[in-house]
Amino acid sequence: MTSIMVVDDDQDLAEMLGIVLNGVGMEVDLVSRGDEALEVFKNSQPDLVLLDIMLPGTDGIEVCREIRKHSTRVPIVMLTAKSDTHDIVKGLEAGADDYMVKPFKPSELVARIRTRLRRVTGDINGTLTIGDLAIDIVEHTVARGGKEIPLTRLEFDLLVALAKEPGRVFTREALLGEVWGYRHSTDTRLVNVHIQRLRAKIEHDPENPTIISTVRGVGYKAGGSGSRS
Amino acid sequence: MGRLFRLFRRSLFLKVFSLTAVISIALIYVVGSTLYGRITGGIFEEKIVSAISEGRSAIQYAEYRFTITGLNPKSNYRELASEVVKSANVRAEESGREVILINSRGVKVNGIPAVSTSNFLEPESVPTELRERVRENPDLDWQRGNLAYVNGKVIPGIFVGKAFDISGAGRYEMYLAYDFVAQQNNIDLIGRSLWVTGILLLALILLTASVVLRMVIKPVQVAAEIAESLTTGDLKNRMNVKGEDEIARLGVAFNQMATTLAEQIARLENLSRVQQRFVSDVSHELRTPLTTIRMASDVIHAARSSFDPTVARSAELLLSQIEKFEHLLQDLLEVSRFDAEAAVLSLDRIDISALVLKCVEDISVLAEEKGVLLNLNGFGEVIQAEADSRRIERIIRNLLTNAIDHSESKPVDVTIAHNDDSVSIGVRDYGVGLSSQYWNRVFDRFWRADPSRSRIRGGTGLGLSIAREDAILHGGEIRVWGELGKGANFVLTLPKVSGGDISNTPIKEIPTAQSL
Repeated sequence: MTSIMVVDDDQDLAEMLGIVLNGVGMEVDLVSRGDEALEVFKNSQPDLVLLDIMLPGTDGIEVCREIRKHSTRVPIVMLTAKSDTHDIVKGLEAGADDYMVKPFKPSELVARIRTRLRRVTGDINGTLTIGDLAIDIVEHTVARGGKEIPLTRLEFDLLVALAKEPGRVFTREALLGEVWGYRHSTDTRLVNVHIQRLRAKIEHDPENPTIISTVRGVGYKAGGSGSRS
Repeated sequence: MGRLFRLFRRSLFLKVFSLTAVISIALIYVVGSTLYGRITGGIFEEKIVSAISEGRSAIQYAEYRFTITGLNPKSNYRELASEVVKSANVRAEESGREVILINSRGVKVNGIPAVSTSNFLEPESVPTELRERVRENPDLDWQRGNLAYVNGKVIPGIFVGKAFDISGAGRYEMYLAYDFVAQQNNIDLIGRSLWVTGILLLALILLTASVVLRMVIKPVQVAAEIAESLTTGDLKNRMNVKGEDEIARLGVAFNQMATTLAEQIARLENLSRVQQRFVSDVSHELRTPLTTIRMASDVIHAARSSFDPTVARSAELLLSQIEKFEHLLQDLLEVSRFDAEAAVLSLDRIDISALVLKCVEDISVLAEEKGVLLNLNGFGEVIQAEADSRRIERIIRNLLTNAIDHSESKPVDVTIAHNDDSVSIGVRDYGVGLSSQYWNRVFDRFWRADPSRSRIRGGTGLGLSIAREDAILHGGEIRVWGELGKGANFVLTLPKVSGGDISNTPIKEIPTAQSL
């Protein structure tokens, strides 16, 4: 059974989230304080974390950072009452994979959680190589020269999405659909921030990326120097 | 000339300075010339008086000597005459004294020449009028005239003359001529001094005037400059106040005014900030409970088939109203962001044409529901522009929804066109329309053309207002045309490059006659 950790100080909302997620067959751990979140996380090892940004004790962004230190794998979805650029970008930079702005539709939340939990094996099995990186799809690992590079699931998904079709230029909207499961492009910042984070981990020189290059005015592609159009 | 005049009009300094200069010159001229006249008059008068008195005694003395000599039968008039004439040079240090002795009848008698003069003075120098008067009148007489010499020199001076009889020789006229050389020199000197004094005085006055003017005008100038900077919104500048004079008082008052102004503005800014903050906070605070309500109603809605019909319908209404409430809250937050000037553009080079097509596709379900046909014109070409896709989508969605809502099931035309600088998207419906007095009011928040008309499903009353704010944020605009019963046309124009020119809109909001 899928277990979800919900960190939110609003008891009623947390309970309601519990009802909705239980309804779709997920188990829910409720945490109401930021400073308790990490402890609960370590004990219960949830499959996904729903994290409110404004929390008593430690704020959501800090909690996110702590959880990321502990686990690169677990998907983190931020819940925020603010749709202001500043908070969202801060959250994403702290390691969150996705975010939902309150008020959201329960069905949308469930869809988003499912996207984050699915294993993107797709029709490919085995390994992919891009640049000097070896991607093992079954094992869900990325390695350079035998040495594993720890990536979050989302970063892994993003890299695989690009590496599956080297040379194809993906628009931000296409990546949002492929990796995040959005049908309507809402916020391309998600893509930008995660590409930056991914580059920081896999590129030799993140300032001059060679593995994931930017195609100006269009989007991103795997390999090759970015063509300027 | 025109430039000089404008400079003159614009500069207080130049105005006052030149006025001072004109008045000073006039004053100095009047005073100087009066003084000059008086002094010259005085000098000449003195000379004339002394010439008359000296001339009188010299002539008396000569007459006396002729009388004495006449008593002696062996008298030698010739020698005496020569001596009298030569006596002109006796007091040479005084210079400029000449003697003329003329026989009234113009004949030589007893060795006395008919005319004898000293120092080669032309006898014709003696003014004719004076000679006539002297001949007819026994008294001493005088007149101003010119001393003309044989060598051609002419010097202004005075002639004093008297006629007397020399016994046995007849009537003689004796004249003494005094030149004005010394006086003229003095007068020239005085004239030069007056000129120099006048010019120095003028320079001094103008210097003083400019110093004083600077002292007075400088603070005024500074005040004007600071006032100008205040109008441009820089409220920090203040005048430098020194002393306690009127200028200092001006400075103090001016600074107080600026401070009060800055305080007022700060107060108002703070007030509106607090208000915007409040709206934003309220919107945020409403979100968490709304999420819970939303989820609860979703759960209830999902289970509605097991309720009896009235409860099931209530669940449906609950959900739809919550959705509406959500939209309202979202729009309200967006508006508060615009009010706080916190809205930020995230610009990308995007294909506007494709974006609009996507919006049309998204809205087609609603259009079908309402039986509205969407006609597309001008699409099929990539039209790139720097824009924030989220905002442009929102504008287009708003315009489309608005057009469909007011179309009365008639078709809606969506047109795109572009030129070098800008791209326009026109959304034209043929429905309700609106009269020209409302063209600009449609962008007002929560505005309704007809208050008795119910709000159209889904609309929050903020859509067009937000659309316009979004357009303005891009440096673009939305223009409106409408006529009752003939529909409306909304034209969004965006610059292709951020900050570009949109004056030449590719689509005009006023339809051509044939499309009416």
